[in-house]
Amino acid sequence: MEKKKLDEHEAGPIAHPKVDRFGFVKQEANSPDGLTRSRSAFECEREERRIRKWRKMIGVGGSDWKHYLRRKPHVVKRRIRKGIPDCLRGLVWQLISGSRDLLLMNPGVYEQLVIYETSASELDIIRDISRTFPSHVFFQQRHGPGQRSLYNVLKAYSVFDREVGYVQGMGFVAGLLLLYMSEEDAFWLLVALLKGAVHAPMEGLYLVGLPLVQQYLFQFDHLVKEHLPKLGEHFAQEIINPSMYASQWFITVFSYSFPFHLALRIWDVFLYEGVKIVFKVGLALLKYCHDDLVKLPFEKLIHGLRNFPEDAMNPDTLLPMAYTIKVSKRLGELKEEYEKQHGKVSDSRIKQKLQELNCPDAASLQLDGKKICE
Amino acid sequence: MASSVNKNINSKLVLLGDSGTGKSSLVLRFVKGQFIEFQESTIGAAFFSQTVAVNDTTVKFEIWDTAGQERYHSLAPMYYRGAAAAVIVYDITNQESFERAKKWVRELQVQGNSNTVMALAGNKADLLGARKVPAEEAQTYAQENGLFFLETSAKTATNVNELFYEIAKRLPRLQPAPNPSGMVLVDDSHRPAERAASASCCS
Repeated sequence: MEKKKLDEHEAGPIAHPKVDRFGFVKQEANSPDGLTRSRSAFECEREERRIRKWRKMIGVGGSDWKHYLRRKPHVVKRRIRKGIPDCLRGLVWQLISGSRDLLLMNPGVYEQLVIYETSASELDIIRDISRTFPSHVFFQQRHGPGQRSLYNVLKAYSVFDREVGYVQGMGFVAGLLLLYMSEEDAFWLLVALLKGAVHAPMEGLYLVGLPLVQQYLFQFDHLVKEHLPKLGEHFAQEIINPSMYASQWFITVFSYSFPFHLALRIWDVFLYEGVKIVFKVGLALLKYCHDDLVKLPFEKLIHGLRNFPEDAMNPDTLLPMAYTIKVSKRLGELKEEYEKQHGKVSDSRIKQKLQELNCPDAASLQLDGKKICE
Repeated sequence: MASSVNKNINSKLVLLGDSGTGKSSLVLRFVKGQFIEFQESTIGAAFFSQTVAVNDTTVKFEIWDTAGQERYHSLAPMYYRGAAAAVIVYDITNQESFERAKKWVRELQVQGNSNTVMALAGNKADLLGARKVPAEEAQTYAQENGLFFLETSAKTATNVNELFYEIAKRLPRLQPAPNPSGMVLVDDSHRPAERAASASCCS
């Protein structure tokens, strides 16, 4: 898949830029992404052993996955936390997010959405296409395969759920997915996430008023005060609230303005364990930089919160730190507290839609009340 | 009035306007002197700072560059509340973005702080051939609403520094009324040498 995309790109008019191993164009004097250094023979061997274990675990095309998951969920969790091998990432993401099932149960739906439906968001999407991962070779070429597939996925989603439509930020999520899977797979993964195939639905991130963003920021604000009281107090003094630095963490699940290799590792865990990893990583970042942050005045503080040092963003130190931070119980309590103050982030509509999707009979899938595939 | 003392003023400035009008590009041009054809969309908001010298005063703008899409509207009040200045940006090749700019002006007039210096920027002025919003129309609208108006181009740098400089010039008049965000600082405590120097040459 990757190979094919690169070949198509090479046919284009753009000169060959220097790219990192993920396809992002390297800027001159760019700091290393922590993965470009050549690997020792020992590391290569270890990586191969890891891939073999993973292949065994998922079986051919994912055939053994569900069985393995039922028998040994803790092994799965442990392995995912260490990072999914890059060559299997696309497939595993589809398995753990539940999107594979949605795809199989709804054949032809994606094609229908892309080809036959029109979306009110088309112009908005087009405007943002060249502004999504503009430094990645796959998305750089005007009207190239990357931009076309990004457009198709976003347009399809905006038709699939007209209430959500298209919102800036979705492009980075879709873009990240498209680097690991086909358009149709990426679309269904987006559906699985936003409609809540495995975890709580996240479409509230993008609905009018961004209700889920507001809820997450409320929860994060409290968690900062509880886990890092000294920093929390410093933030209060400098009049800094999480909306100023963390809203894009939630809106794009770290796929915007974060080192790509770190974003991928977060996504591995996010798709399996849910959104709480976003809170944990956020807290771990603050914790890691705590002693510097508490000393900074407003302006430098804001800058620091948007430009974490490279060592802080090394997944092999940041993620283990994040795993030690316990948030599940408080997240639940804070959610209730938020709902008491602000009302519930309504999910009745979401559930209804998911039921329609889960129905194994594709013919009954309905969109906004009208049947789309008969 | 004795103007021999160098004053440093911190001013919160917010950029508002429809998506794709060039808010981030204006800031990038002003702060770093750069222009990027395909500027990544702003998600949430971004923060920058840059100083402008007006006579004996240094104005340091603390700039909040907001996401333009309508859906992000609910995050905006946090950024314009307490702002000393607001730049409302539209794209001269897009009539809809001008209508959206007017909405922002109305919102600030109702919700914002009445002391906020408001500027209207018609960006992408280099794309004259594709113009949809006549400069006169925007000028008239700006006058009627007490806004300062300029057509700008982040791409060619036309009127970008001028825009921020003009805003800075309009700020000191509002002093010494305290800025509600509490960010106005007259910070001369740690530079006695400069003070002495300016005292000797300017008074």
